[in-house]
Amino acid sequence: MTGVGYSDLLAALAPETALVLAAVAVLFVDMGLMRSAPLRQRFLTACAVAGLGCLVTLGILASSGAHLRFLDGVLVVDSLTQWVKVFLVVLTLFTAGISAQAEFTEHVGEYFALVLLATVGMMFLVSTEEILMIFVSLELTSLSLYVLAALDKRTRHASEAALKYFLFGSVAAAFTLFGLSLVYGLSGATNLTGIAAGLRAHRSDPLLAVAVVMVIMGFGFKVAVVPFHLWAPDAYEGAPVPAAALIASGSKVASFFVLAKIAVLGFAGVEGSGAWGQLRAGWLPVLAVLAVGSMVLGNLTAIAQGHLRRLLAYSAIAHAGYVLLGLMAMGYPSQRSAALAAVLYYVATYGLTTVGAFGVASVIERVLGNGRIDALAGLSRRSPLLALCLMVFLLSLAGIPPLAGFFGKFGLFTAAMGADPAGLGLLWLVGIAIAMSTVSLYYYLRVLKQAYVVAGDEEASRIVVPWTDRLVLIAAAVGVFLLGALPELLLGPLARAIAGGNGF
Amino acid sequence: MGELARYLVLAALLFGIGLAGVLTRRNAIVVLIGIELMLNAANLNFIAFWRHGPHPEALTGVMFVLFAIAIAAAEAAVGLALVIAVYRHYRTTNLDQIEEMKG
Amino acid sequence: MPSAPHPYLFLALMLAVGLVFCLGMLGLARLWAVWVSPPKPGLTKGAAYECGLAPQGDVGIRFQSQYYLYAIIFLVFDVETVFLLPFAVSFTGLAPGAFVAIMVFLLLLVEGLVWAWGKGLLRWR
Repeated sequence: MTGVGYSDLLAALAPETALVLAAVAVLFVDMGLMRSAPLRQRFLTACAVAGLGCLVTLGILASSGAHLRFLDGVLVVDSLTQWVKVFLVVLTLFTAGISAQAEFTEHVGEYFALVLLATVGMMFLVSTEEILMIFVSLELTSLSLYVLAALDKRTRHASEAALKYFLFGSVAAAFTLFGLSLVYGLSGATNLTGIAAGLRAHRSDPLLAVAVVMVIMGFGFKVAVVPFHLWAPDAYEGAPVPAAALIASGSKVASFFVLAKIAVLGFAGVEGSGAWGQLRAGWLPVLAVLAVGSMVLGNLTAIAQGHLRRLLAYSAIAHAGYVLLGLMAMGYPSQRSAALAAVLYYVATYGLTTVGAFGVASVIERVLGNGRIDALAGLSRRSPLLALCLMVFLLSLAGIPPLAGFFGKFGLFTAAMGADPAGLGLLWLVGIAIAMSTVSLYYYLRVLKQAYVVAGDEEASRIVVPWTDRLVLIAAAVGVFLLGALPELLLGPLARAIAGGNGF
Repeated sequence: MGELARYLVLAALLFGIGLAGVLTRRNAIVVLIGIELMLNAANLNFIAFWRHGPHPEALTGVMFVLFAIAIAAAEAAVGLALVIAVYRHYRTTNLDQIEEMKG
Repeated sequence: MPSAPHPYLFLALMLAVGLVFCLGMLGLARLWAVWVSPPKPGLTKGAAYECGLAPQGDVGIRFQSQYYLYAIIFLVFDVETVFLLPFAVSFTGLAPGAFVAIMVFLLLLVEGLVWAWGKGLLRWR
C-alpha cells in the first residue's frame, strides 16, 4: 500500500462503481418491477435506468479531480484517463439511446446490464498500465460484447456472428496472454514502465520478437485490422444494431488507447523504424504492415458491399488503418503528445460518427426489415431527417470538411508526416492513406446517391422516427458538425490533459 | 537445456497443439478445447517464469495465473452458451455448416 | 548487445519464427492426419461405442439444454472460489479494508445467484 487507502481507491473509482451499481439496478428493476410489463415498456424503463446511470457517471467524471497512481500503475487516474472515460460513457449513453425502441430480446435487463459492464471493462482498460489489469479488463469487455452480439435469438445470423466473434476473439486473447507471459518472463515486471526497463537488455532476443508480434496480434483483433479483421463484417451485420454500435465505437476507443499505451510505454526502446527504405525491426514496422493492409483491403472491399452495416464494417477496418498511422507517429518522442491528441480526437469523433450511423441503420432496419443499401432508395423523401443524418455521418467518415472526420484525418496525417525527425519517413504511408481516402469517398457517395437520388417506391409511407432515436441522431450529428467546425473544443482540453498527465 | 527452457518448450508445444486444434478442427467444441489449451500454455509460461525468475518471493506470476484461470472459465462458459445458441438454430456444431454470412 | 547484428536479420528472424510457429504446427497436424490417422469413415468408426455390442439408437442423443445451463452456472461459481483461497490464507493479516473488499466480491457472487434464482434458471423443468 503506497500511502493509498481503500477510501482513496473508492473515490478514484467512483465512476466505475456508479456504472456497476447502475448495471445491478437495471437488472433487478427489470426482473422485479417490470416482470409482467410489455416488452416496449421494459426496454424504455431499462433504458431510462441505464441512461440515468451514465449521466450520474458523467457528473462524477466531470466533478472529480482525482489524480492517483496506485501500485506502480495498476490503477492510473488522471485528467487524460478521465477524458477518455467521458468519451466512453457518452458513447454508451448513445448506444443505450438507440436501443430504447428495440425489441430484439426478452432479456432486457441483462442486455442493458451487459452494455454497462462492457463499458466498465473499457473504463478499467484505459486507466491501467499493468498487464494483468489490462488482460482482465479486456476480457470483461470482450465477454460482455460476445454475449451482447448473441442476444438476438430471432435470427440465426446473430448467433452465427456471435460464435465467430467469440472464436476469433478468444484465440486472439490466448495470443495476447501468451505474448504477455513472454513479456513478463523477459522483463520480470508486469507494469508497463518496468517492462520497458526490463526489455532493454533483450532488444535482439527472438523471443521478444514473438512476444511483441503476439501482443500486437491480440489487440489487432480487437481493433479489427487486416489480417485479423475476419470477424468484423459478420459481427457488425449479424449482431443486434446497438450491440454492433458499441463494438464499433466504444470498444475501439478503449482498445486503441491501451494499444498505444502498451506500444509506447511498454515497448519503449524496441520501436524499430517504419520509415521507407530504412525498416528496422520493432513494433513500428509491424504496425506499418497492418496499417497498409487495413487501408488498402478495407477500402477496396467496402466498394463491393451491398449491406449497409457490412459496408460500415469494412470502412471501420480502413479507419483502424488510419489510426495506426497516428500510433506510429507516437513512436517518435518529438511528436508524441501531438500524435496522441490527434489519435484521441480521431477515435472520439469516429466513435460518435459510427454510433450515429448505426443509429440510422437501426431505425431503417426496424422499419424496412432489412439493411441492404438498395432499400435506402427514396429515403430523402420518406424521412428527410434520417437522410440528412446519414449524409452528415457518411461524409464525416469520408473526411469532408467541415465535419469532424476531416479534421481528424488531417490531424493524424500531419502528425505522421512530422513524426520522423530525419525526414519524411512515414510519407509513403500518408500517401497510401490519402489515396485510399479518395477511394472511400466513392462508396460513401454510392450510399448517399441511393438515399437522395434514386427514386424509391412512390407509395411508400413516411418513416416515423421515435423521439429517443431522433434525440440521439440529432445530438450525434450536431456533435460531429460542431467538433469539425470548432476542433479546439475538444483538442484544447485534450492537449491540457496530456500535458498534465503522467508523461503519456 | 535448463529447467526453464524445458518448461518454455513444453508451453510452446501446448500452445501449438491448441492452435493446430483451433485451425484444423471443424467442431466448435473441439475448437473451444484448443483455445483452453492455448490459455493454459500461457499459464504454464507464467508459472515457469515466476519460479525461475529473479523474484520468486513476489507472487506476481501466481496472481496472474489465478486470474487467468478464472477468466478462462468465464470464457468457456460464454463459449458453451454460444455453441448452444447456435445449435438451437443450426442443429449442428460443425463450423463449416455454420457459414451463411459471406462477403 | 556484444555485437549488433544486421538490423534486417532480426526482422527476417521475427517473420520466420512467426511463420514457422503457425505453419509448422499446421503441417504437423496435416501429416499426422495423413500418416497416422487417415479418415476412414464407416459404420464401425461412427458408432457411439466400440465395445463389441451393436449400438442402439443415434449417436447424437438430445440432452436437454437445461442440463448445460446447470453445468455452466456451476462452472462459473466454482471457479470464482479460486479468489477466496488467497483470502483465506492471509486472513489473519488482513486490513479491515481488504475484508470489506472481499465481502463486496462475495456480495456480487450472491447477486449473481439471486439473479439466476429469480430468472428461474435453478428450477428443473
